[in-house]
Amino acid sequence: MESLGINYRAIGPELVLTVTGVLVMLLEAFSPGKKVRDGILAAAGIVLAGVAALALWEEGPVTAFSRMVIVDGFRVFFTLVILLGTLLTIFVSWGFLDEERIPPGEYFALLLFGAVGMTLLVAGNDLMILFLALETITIATYVLAGYRREDLRSTESALKYFLLGAFSSAFLLYGIALLYGATRTTNLAEMARVVSGPLGQAEIVLLMAGAAMLLIGFGFKVTTVPFHVWTPDVYEGAPTPVTAFLSTAPKAAGFAAFLRVFSLTFPPLGIESAADQLASHWVAAVTAMSILSMTFGNFIAIAQTNIKRMLAYSSIAHAGYVLIGVLARDWAAVAFYMLVYTIMNLGCFAIVALWARRGDERVLIAEYAGLGFRQPLLSFPLAIFLVSLAGFPGTAGFVAKFWLFKSAWGAGFPELVIIGVLMTVVSVYYYLYVVIVMFFREPKEEVPRVPLSRAFVAAMVVALVGVFYLGLLPTRVFAVLNTAQNLLAIGQR
Amino acid sequence: MERALFVIFALTAIVAALNVLLRRHPLHSALALLVVLGALAGLYILLGAYFLAMIQVVIYAGAILVLFLFVIMLLNIRAEEARLARRPFLRWLALPFALLLGAEIFYLVRTFEENPVPSGTSVGVTEAIGRELFTTYLLPFEVTSILILIAILGAVVLARRG
Repeated sequence: MESLGINYRAIGPELVLTVTGVLVMLLEAFSPGKKVRDGILAAAGIVLAGVAALALWEEGPVTAFSRMVIVDGFRVFFTLVILLGTLLTIFVSWGFLDEERIPPGEYFALLLFGAVGMTLLVAGNDLMILFLALETITIATYVLAGYRREDLRSTESALKYFLLGAFSSAFLLYGIALLYGATRTTNLAEMARVVSGPLGQAEIVLLMAGAAMLLIGFGFKVTTVPFHVWTPDVYEGAPTPVTAFLSTAPKAAGFAAFLRVFSLTFPPLGIESAADQLASHWVAAVTAMSILSMTFGNFIAIAQTNIKRMLAYSSIAHAGYVLIGVLARDWAAVAFYMLVYTIMNLGCFAIVALWARRGDERVLIAEYAGLGFRQPLLSFPLAIFLVSLAGFPGTAGFVAKFWLFKSAWGAGFPELVIIGVLMTVVSVYYYLYVVIVMFFREPKEEVPRVPLSRAFVAAMVVALVGVFYLGLLPTRVFAVLNTAQNLLAIGQR
Repeated sequence: MERALFVIFALTAIVAALNVLLRRHPLHSALALLVVLGALAGLYILLGAYFLAMIQVVIYAGAILVLFLFVIMLLNIRAEEARLARRPFLRWLALPFALLLGAEIFYLVRTFEENPVPSGTSVGVTEAIGRELFTTYLLPFEVTSILILIAILGAVVLARRG
């Protein structure tokens, strides 16, 4: 039926992921414990969803399902980042599932349904869809964080995550309700139209309060200071492959929603309008969040002895950098940053997960001593990913940061760029510290040999190729993203 | 007739609400809450919000309250233990909050304007909600099913015997 706007192609990636998730779940029910079969099926589903997303690339900004979802370059690119993150997580989890004797079917099904939520969050053109998608993601990730049930840390992590996550969801929902009260719509395009004109005094108050609530909710989800308190505990306690997942794909999706709502729906228009009044406030608030996240994340990371906690604070710091891109309203730069961050962070966590062994026993930075030349297949990739996280030239991390800072400088945020660069210098200290421990510290005990699984090698190859390809030859991806951004800008006019 | 029904439902709700607070045993409080919710559903029907009334009965009275009762019975709280929660500073907080609430009610009653819902309106009627749910909000409706599926899956995973 035409009037309902039913367009199955527009939700193609989500449909493929859902069907694969249900299939994996049912297969587990009828013939349990076949990891290879379930894993390959899940990976195939993700690749197929990627194809379905790519098929949407050529389509201009189109909406479907009564304008609930939108098809544009923004959505397609973020969808691909999320799918890549989920695929790499499957590779990273390969050995972990055997060691912990975890039923693989449910694990893969939860990952796939989580991915459905993320892709929908990116596609959402209505606050209703955004909220439902966010809940789908968070419920999947609560369970994943608590997957090692006998482990106290894992259970604590899941419970903390659940309580604070539910709390932040309540903020988000209240914000959505207030925005609906102010603008009489939940549709983002419609909302953008309403706020581009003047609004009454009462509506302005509701709009401000609603946007503030939304900012708090999103701030929780993308781990920015001062809404970050749960992050280190949850990242430390969750099983390492799950931490790898938590810190990448859901974050990319969260930033996409953040951009969609704040940068695209409430832009500073420069004319007398409700959006402009609101923008002056949210820009100030996000600036503060960005500065706090960058300084706080980087300085606290220095003091960490546990590598998972260190990477958690590093993740907070990176969220601070990305907020600069949100302020510059350059979604292409943010999308590229999230792509690079997903690749290098998952690469890092893949090695941390492998080295941590069963039950996450070996996670102290001191326990990486002597890894250097005794386990070169672990130490060299880890060094490369850490150097890329620090943003050394020649790696993808440098290109991503450079683009982000350049566009922020052009958009008139020089002070943020200066703080960002200074904080990057601070971050070099703790990233390189791990490298120094690996190569120049003598181990206290014999360094055991860790067998490398084929899935781990596949993850390493993908991540390393990604880091160097995007670091040395990024022009093609740049061109693709810039074209998409220009198309979207034209579509908005 | 309508006025009489309103008075009956309103009085039931108020008396039951007082019971929720004054009963010693949490089980009695929970049962009194059930009566409050039922009386509120009656008020919704008087307002013409039939769907909301049904939802109130099914979700709040049916599902959430049963959950409350389950928890109370599982924890096996006795009346004396429940009284331990009394803390002196809570009383000092109670007064300003009660005043605030009183001021809000006073303000609402003072500024109330007679604004009856025109008869024949479809807002809040089951048919109108159903129509919207399966046309405009079709996709969110379907996404909700995934949300529930994943919650069930998660519950199974976490409750499984290791």
